[in-house]
Amino acid sequence: MVNEEIRNIVIATTAIFLIAPAFIVAYIFVYNRRKKRHIEEKTQMKLTFEAELAKTQLEVQEQTMQTIGADLHDNIGQLLSLTSLTLNSVEVDNPKKARQKVDAAIDLTLRSIKEMRLLGKLLQGDQLMAMGLSEAVRYEIGWLEKSGKYKITYIEDGEAPAENNPDKDLIIFRVLQEILNNVIKHAEATRITISLAYLAGSLQLQIKDNGKGFDIEKLTADERGMGLHNIQKRAGIIDGEVSVVSKPGKGASITIVVPYP
Amino acid sequence: MLKFFTINTDAELVCFLIALICLIKDKAIIWRCMIWFLALTISVEMVGIYLKKPYLDYVKKLENAQKLHIHLNIDPVHSNIWIYNILLVFQAVFISLMFKDLLKKHTNSKPLIVTGLVVLCVLYIYEVTIHGIFEKHNITTIAMSVMFIIYSLYCYYCLLKEDAYHNLSIFAPFWLVTGILFFYFGRIASLLFFQILETYDPKVVITYPIYSTLIIILYGCWSYSFICRRWLMKRSEI
Repeated sequence: MVNEEIRNIVIATTAIFLIAPAFIVAYIFVYNRRKKRHIEEKTQMKLTFEAELAKTQLEVQEQTMQTIGADLHDNIGQLLSLTSLTLNSVEVDNPKKARQKVDAAIDLTLRSIKEMRLLGKLLQGDQLMAMGLSEAVRYEIGWLEKSGKYKITYIEDGEAPAENNPDKDLIIFRVLQEILNNVIKHAEATRITISLAYLAGSLQLQIKDNGKGFDIEKLTADERGMGLHNIQKRAGIIDGEVSVVSKPGKGASITIVVPYP
Repeated sequence: MLKFFTINTDAELVCFLIALICLIKDKAIIWRCMIWFLALTISVEMVGIYLKKPYLDYVKKLENAQKLHIHLNIDPVHSNIWIYNILLVFQAVFISLMFKDLLKKHTNSKPLIVTGLVVLCVLYIYEVTIHGIFEKHNITTIAMSVMFIIYSLYCYYCLLKEDAYHNLSIFAPFWLVTGILFFYFGRIASLLFFQILETYDPKVVITYPIYSTLIIILYGCWSYSFICRRWLMKRSEI
């Protein structure tokens, strides 16, 4: 009888002792499954990031080509046409007038060469990004200023960190291009203020305009999808936050804060 | 007639055969040594069964003499415990080395394993000094069980901490450790009660069904682990 009791106690204790490892093993399995899901999500995020980066690179190139196309047509093309007209109108019999026209043609040709040099620099888009985000932003502003339609103020705060992040730079630069495109297409602005601030561990880019503004709440899904959604998505893949402040008739301000580098 | 084939020996034999098939060409020495370790375990079990019979006969004679109040003048026969005490040394060393191999990917386990072996060695010598080799080395066995439980849990911790993902359902080291954890965790209760159990009826081995269940779990997990290592795991994981 006593043996029977002891036997039962030992069996019960052993059973209890076996429950503990069973729970541990079950926990390990659950945790491991979560780990697998986490790794899959990380891989997916990496793939999305790479795809988005490639798309951004393509878009920056497209934008550059558009700028070049427009510049060739509007600027260099006009200069060369004018040079051709000037040279055609040279009267060989009248050396004094001919000299003036040749000088004018030389001047036009020199301006064309200057413009071509600037275009050449823009064509080397990769090198532009390699020079750093600040330099790329300055070039972009330079081209916008050339149109003569906008008064642009550029403010840069803080020092760029010694080690930059080329992937983030490219995405931030593309976001800036998209915002400026939106301003050009829809805002009817005359003044644009761009500020780039390198804060501790983050970067803040702010674009303000004095255009017609808009009511964020009343934007249709299509309107939002055209610009803002893309900007938010782009900023999101580099863990950035976008805040948009705008009222009808009072311009707009878009601020992007990104962990940096 | 001696019954050499019991649940325990059957489980050990099946596990040994699976180890022989799966691990004979294994690249890791410690996994190949598993075959020798299992062969030794089976041999000890067989010798244990062989030695058990004369001991039980001796105990029976003593009991009958006690009942009849007769003084028997025969040489004492020792139980088979001494051979299991010898096996204990091999168990401690081999399983410790196995843990050292399993942990080497994650950490420098040498100080931990060496300290554990030194502690076990001291306890073993202490027990030999106290009651000789013919009595069960219960303290050493309990200490060894606790150590293996700690090593197993540490292995799990390292596995969880690792960045890489392993499919645990076919991950050989995981099943090897799981077998050890279940066996030694479950065995602790029997070991703690051993002193009380021994004072009752020595012929009725109360812990035998428990021990058999634990043996089946241990060798079941180990056999599956060997199969995983031989056929299911990727070469890069081994």
